[in-house]
Amino acid sequence: MTKIRKITETIWGVIMILFSIAMVLFSEYAYPFIMAALTLGFIFYGFKSLIYYFTMARFMVGGKVSLYRAVILLDFGFLTFSLNDIPKIYILLYLVAINAFAGLVELLRASESRKQGSSWKLKFSHALINIFLALACIIFIRKVNTAIYIYCFGIFYLGIIRIVTAFRKTTFIYIQ
Amino acid sequence: MQEDFHYYATYCAAYLAGYSHDECLDICYSAQFVDCCSRTFLTKIKAPLKAATTQLQLEMMDARTDIVGLQDITRIWASFHFLPGNLYAFKKGRNKRYMNKYRLICEPDSNLVERTVELARGKSLQHIGISMHVMADTWAHRHFAGTPSLVINNTDDYFYELDPNNGDAEIKIAFRHNPTAPDDLDKHLYTNSLYQSNENSVMNLGHGRAGHLPDYSFIKYKYLPAWGEYEEVIKDNPSDYTKAFCQMIYALKYLRGVNDTFEVKRYDEEAIKPWEDKIDAILRKRQLIASEDWKAFGEELSGCSIKDFNMNEYNDEYMSAAAGDKDATVLGKFIKGAIEQKGMVTNQIFKSGNILAGFSKEMFLGGGAK
Repeated sequence: MTKIRKITETIWGVIMILFSIAMVLFSEYAYPFIMAALTLGFIFYGFKSLIYYFTMARFMVGGKVSLYRAVILLDFGFLTFSLNDIPKIYILLYLVAINAFAGLVELLRASESRKQGSSWKLKFSHALINIFLALACIIFIRKVNTAIYIYCFGIFYLGIIRIVTAFRKTTFIYIQ
Repeated sequence: MQEDFHYYATYCAAYLAGYSHDECLDICYSAQFVDCCSRTFLTKIKAPLKAATTQLQLEMMDARTDIVGLQDITRIWASFHFLPGNLYAFKKGRNKRYMNKYRLICEPDSNLVERTVELARGKSLQHIGISMHVMADTWAHRHFAGTPSLVINNTDDYFYELDPNNGDAEIKIAFRHNPTAPDDLDKHLYTNSLYQSNENSVMNLGHGRAGHLPDYSFIKYKYLPAWGEYEEVIKDNPSDYTKAFCQMIYALKYLRGVNDTFEVKRYDEEAIKPWEDKIDAILRKRQLIASEDWKAFGEELSGCSIKDFNMNEYNDEYMSAAAGDKDATVLGKFIKGAIEQKGMVTNQIFKSGNILAGFSKEMFLGGGAK
């Protein structure tokens, strides 16, 4: 990673840690914050992918993947935005689904990396954590605040991982 | 291309063009040194960093991918390893951002190849060696660009080797991302760079997504380049490498003063006629690197021993020279040639209205861009 990227990742990691602590301290406001952060994130990356597709990737072999990614991200973004005014239990289920999906994707990526002979353990541990969080949220779904704490733990963990990854030496395959 | 062609084959081409054994060694040393002259090396010998002709893995890891970083990367790779084929190419319906990258696709027999050879005329043997590296790479690295770009340099899993012993029967090529395992030629298993969806990731520089396939002289294969609109491209390395070799002989004769002109799409096939079968056998032999075979051929041609390449051979000469005498050393002449080559290519890219290689100093001298 470049120095700037390390600093950026570290800052994001710190923000995530602070965000999780803030949500624990102000748990009554947790849901709107989570939904707002998710909405903004999905819509921003969705539009970014869409612009990339129309300006560059549509001329590329296999470029439609960018379009699919953009559409999925935007859909998630608008859906998340629309969930602000419904009972919390449904929001929690939605968060569970996102975590479970992310966990499944990480699991598939870890499996593919393992087949390719690349490092896969970190991806696998991410997958396990995501799936564990999703399951824990379901188990404690009736205890709304407990579920928030579990979710905050997840974000805290991801923040730590982001900081650790920033300073980790990575194998770099580069064909010269 | 690898050391087998840049060092030993260039020696052979120079000898066939009429250079003496010692001149051949100077030329081929510089041709191979283009793959070694990184900023790390230049820092070690306290030489100008702007003469860098390559970037090491560690340097790439720390490379910025904002516009300034991209320009720095492109200046090096487009100038020495992926000379652009057509800086004024046109493709309907594409925007400027796409076309800036498309126009950097490397192809042989371009106007820039002519300029590269012309620039080396009357210059040092080291500069001639640089021009031979650049020329040879246009054949091996064709269809890829010397700038990070997913939409230009990406490939997918549609990769097939064509077996010439079996009527070009297709054999599926598999890629993996294992940096420690060598390519397995028997199982058609090769290492390539990881897919990165970020347009400007360094993983999308040059032919990384095709692994080392462009650098193996024996292989003929087909694939779908990202820019190719789903049209198959067949890369016939034995044929391309033969043309590269013949073109080097033709260019070297021009640089030696034997011929009055140099034109692209001309190859001195007559010069290799007595050894055509031997050269063809070397190129088609299925091996990771053909250094021993080319070395044996070169020694047979000249009757002299070709010393192994040592990138640190001339460090002491350069470092111990006085400031005013450095330009007269081997590395000093190489550095001068490298700066001139980089300046020429950067200027041409800039003049075409493409800022991916950065600003040309001629802009400030009144040259301007189109």
